[in-house]
Amino acid sequence: MMDKLKLAVFELTDCGGCALNILFLYEKLFDLLEFYEITEFHMATSLSEGSHYDVALVTGTVSSQRDLALLKEARNHSDYLIALGTCATHGSVQASVEGSIREKLKRVYGDEGNPMRALDSKPVVEYVAVDFALPGCPYDKNEVYQVLMDIAKGIEPVKKDYPVCVECKLNEYECVLVKKGLPCLGPITYGGCNAACIRSGLGCIGCRGPLPGEVNPASEYEILKDLGYDDDYILRKFKTFARWEP
Amino acid sequence: MIIELREFTRVEGNGKAEIVVENGEVKDVRLKIVEGPRFFELLTLGRHYYDVPDLEARICAICYLSHSVASVLGIEKAFGVEVSEEIQLLRELGLIGELLESHALHLYLLVAPDVFGYPDAIRMATKHGELVKEGLALKAFGNSIRELIGGREIHGINVKPGGFGRYPTVEELENIERESGALLRLARRAVRLFASLEPYGEKAGHFVATDGYLWGDKLISDEDGSFHYTERIEERSLVYSFAKQSRYKGEPFFVGALPRLLLKAEMLTPTAKRLFEEHREKLATGYVSYNNLAQAIELVYALERAGEIAKKLLDKGIKGENVPVEVKEGEGIGYVEAPRGVLIHHYRIDSGGKIAYSNIITPTALNHAMMEASLFKEARKLYGETDETVLVQRLEETVRAFDPCISCSVHIVKL
Ligand code: SF4
Ligand code: SF4
Repeated sequence: MMDKLKLAVFELTDCGGCALNILFLYEKLFDLLEFYEITEFHMATSLSEGSHYDVALVTGTVSSQRDLALLKEARNHSDYLIALGTCATHGSVQASVEGSIREKLKRVYGDEGNPMRALDSKPVVEYVAVDFALPGCPYDKNEVYQVLMDIAKGIEPVKKDYPVCVECKLNEYECVLVKKGLPCLGPITYGGCNAACIRSGLGCIGCRGPLPGEVNPASEYEILKDLGYDDDYILRKFKTFARWEP
Repeated sequence: MIIELREFTRVEGNGKAEIVVENGEVKDVRLKIVEGPRFFELLTLGRHYYDVPDLEARICAICYLSHSVASVLGIEKAFGVEVSEEIQLLRELGLIGELLESHALHLYLLVAPDVFGYPDAIRMATKHGELVKEGLALKAFGNSIRELIGGREIHGINVKPGGFGRYPTVEELENIERESGALLRLARRAVRLFASLEPYGEKAGHFVATDGYLWGDKLISDEDGSFHYTERIEERSLVYSFAKQSRYKGEPFFVGALPRLLLKAEMLTPTAKRLFEEHREKLATGYVSYNNLAQAIELVYALERAGEIAKKLLDKGIKGENVPVEVKEGEGIGYVEAPRGVLIHHYRIDSGGKIAYSNIITPTALNHAMMEASLFKEARKLYGETDETVLVQRLEETVRAFDPCISCSVHIVKL
């Protein structure tokens, strides 16, 4: 049997969801383990035995010097690095808090403490070149499964390039933007989640980040304005998961 | 001399500890959190209340629903909204799903490898495959409930002020009733396994919980009367530490499964109550390590209660009606029992429905002082007696018993 690929999961500052979601693969995780051997994954194992990884998954934002050092180590020791989840690809919620890091620390922690080594949260893609970026807060677990399988088979994985709207239509969900007047970012958000939130009859909050290219944020903006939402509300909504573009 | 422990593994988030040794004696233990700052309080400021529970969910993946519900409760309190029994039962069901998911993850995948001497559950599975599978079955069931009520396994947006985006169907509730009954056997086996663990860590001096089993209007403790957190719990920044620390009347205290059982045993379901009685003596000693056993008993509680709730909802029929929410200026606190203990979301909302003040205190932040006290005691006991690997291993286990959730401690900052 061929040697298994060495897989590492590195978690920077985040909610733990993107790391946890790997464990939520259940049986599929065992299918993956036919091709991969996990050599670094501190949420799941006390072993840490790698010095070289075939594939490294990095979740979270760079929010401290520790994160930055860990990210560089992951990059230097891996052949294929995937920025996994919206924290890593676009910054997600913690990176959307604006203001200088010093001022933010002061507002939450008072004057105590030395904020020297805390960094303003930024996505992984701001610091290193990545081989693949898979967004989602968290990403769809079937998608990560597919991507890892593709890599194991020597196929370059394909990035989804259509909006959530497409999946919504395929599922024949009622359009919440038009029918209910809910602020839905589906038209301008990366698809791949199978329109999970619209299934609940609620608007997409844009957790997979903005889809670049043909989509038209300006028209989305106009629609929301017509529905009665004010500028501040719309702008904040747009920027909640993505202040950065990969 | 300072012994630096490496970053903890098999816990959620990034943290480590330092043991300060002087003249051959352990003088101090510092719990260091190396997770970067996340600024959730600032994130929610000025945001429209409707969007806030979805943002707060992102504080933590393992207990996102507890955060959504605590946030919704705080917002509803601020507006003076009262929801129907149906909505309350469905929220409770969601929290139960989360409890199952989280406890199963902790007990089977994170703690069990210690019991059997493996570095992780995947490697443990070669010899104890049955057990790992049982754990995964419980976890998957908890997750399916969480997906049903919350909208997604992680970070769903279905829980809203005033109700839900989507309500479960009769068929989905029937599934829950059926499956919860079927899984009960596995949970009882877990109780037996974790009852065999020896005690370690510190004995807690104080316990704190919410006044209802999974949420409440106020907090209760081992002393008299219910109270708001502002009355007895104080948060402070520490010069040496990387987290704000909370104290109950100046003392370390404990929140979590063990405090819940000890303070609220009368609210348990029949089998869970019986199991609690059987192990009461042990649990009442208050050793933090018995939190593992308490969690196992809560697995039984959660499965029984899920069945009860599903049945009740099926008998009454699901109406699926949201309660209208009227925006007005106000202040409210949401108290929820996240799987790891008391979670507090406190908001002031302005007349336009925007958040003007927010304070969030998570179980891990509440337990921080207690964790340090436990590490200190364990380090004192073992330093010089065993070699460093054993010491480190035991200290990790001590921290793990709290089931800490480091991402969750939103106040926390790396210096
Ligand atoms: S992208 Fe979302 S789910 Fe993933 S780690 Fe970040 S906050 Fe958590
Ligand atoms: S519908 Fe939108 S918010 Fe919901 S999971 Fe998909 S991308 Fe994320």
